[in-house]
Amino acid sequence: MTYAVQMVTAFLGSMGFSVLFNIRRTKLLIAGFGGALSWGVYLLFGGALDDGPLRCFLAAVGVTVYAEIFARIKKTPTTSFLVPGMIPLIPGGTLYNTMQFAIAGDWAQSGSAAAYTIRVALALAAGIIVVSSVMRMVVAVIRFVRIRCFKPPKRQ
Amino acid sequence: METEKLLGMALDIGEEMLISGAEIGRVEDSVRRILMTYDAQRADVFTITSSIVVTVTDADGKTLTQTRRIRKYATNLDKLHALNALSRKICAEKPEAEAIQNELSQINKGKNYPVFVQCAAFALIAGSFTLFFGGSALDAAAAALIGAILKFAVLLIDRTGVNMVFANVVNSFLVSTLAFLCTAAGFGTHADSIIIGNIMLLIPGIGMTNAIRDIISGDIMAGILRFCESIVIAVAIAAGYSIAALLFGRWAA
Repeated sequence: MTYAVQMVTAFLGSMGFSVLFNIRRTKLLIAGFGGALSWGVYLLFGGALDDGPLRCFLAAVGVTVYAEIFARIKKTPTTSFLVPGMIPLIPGGTLYNTMQFAIAGDWAQSGSAAAYTIRVALALAAGIIVVSSVMRMVVAVIRFVRIRCFKPPKRQ
Repeated sequence: METEKLLGMALDIGEEMLISGAEIGRVEDSVRRILMTYDAQRADVFTITSSIVVTVTDADGKTLTQTRRIRKYATNLDKLHALNALSRKICAEKPEAEAIQNELSQINKGKNYPVFVQCAAFALIAGSFTLFFGGSALDAAAAALIGAILKFAVLLIDRTGVNMVFANVVNSFLVSTLAFLCTAAGFGTHADSIIIGNIMLLIPGIGMTNAIRDIISGDIMAGILRFCESIVIAVAIAAGYSIAALLFGRWAA
């Protein structure tokens, strides 16, 4: 039940941010589903992995693949679907906790919250970069093969 | 096209892209490609989150430099989409200056969602994340109401033009106070859930992630700047909450 609520609210939250980021029409839905997907992947690995940041990494990989695919279909920058899709994963809550503990003078708690925040941010960034780098390599290889094997009509 | 005009136009596009939320790499790449399309010998672009510097050497060997200072961002992915399409078109078709200027002003005129829709989005986000972080349905309703109020507060504070840190302290103070009041009045039971739902609207979680992404992709300067910015804003938000908690925390259920 809680999982169902989280999935639905992840979708709605991502949609809401998509509106704030001025995403239009069908892209709004695609962006919202990206959010549900990322949280779905995060929950999916909940049984197998205890480590939050590691699950975030896998979820980031999932949502980046999703964003890259739909960006190509919709001919738009990947960011359009990537940023809304990451919304449920971003370490906003823990970043807030970090500062809240720090202001309360609870340095031990603040330190561990800070470490967690950084690890999540690192995991997300790493997930995005792994997928986009692999994607770039694949595109480069395809282009290379195409130019070598089937000469295009016009080459600059 | 005159190099000066060309450089100005390429920078206009780059600047708008950066403001709309493009990655550093995309901005640098787009500006460089546009310049090279118009037969520049060489184009060096350096971008950080708050500035773009471009030096171009044109076909006659004349060198020109221009910079832009970026003070404010407003993520606008629809605009980014249009700008990206424009810069691709420029590289493919090499259009005249007037054509580019026209398209650019069309893009700049592009509309945002009306305020009431944005207000609804604030309410939706706050309500959703209150549920997401384990609040009850009543908490979510309270959070949604506070979210809608927060949108107006953000608009008002934007208009006064106070600095980013103070604006965030005020916003977070307002949200926390309203959450304590709501729970004291019996509208919602978990002040913390209501607050975190609204804090998600303010906290720079995306900025933090993008900062690390910039650093890993090699844009270390830009990444460090963004990272520091996220930390400063997060501290401001926590400070706003703390002041509210000191003053009104005991009222909360």
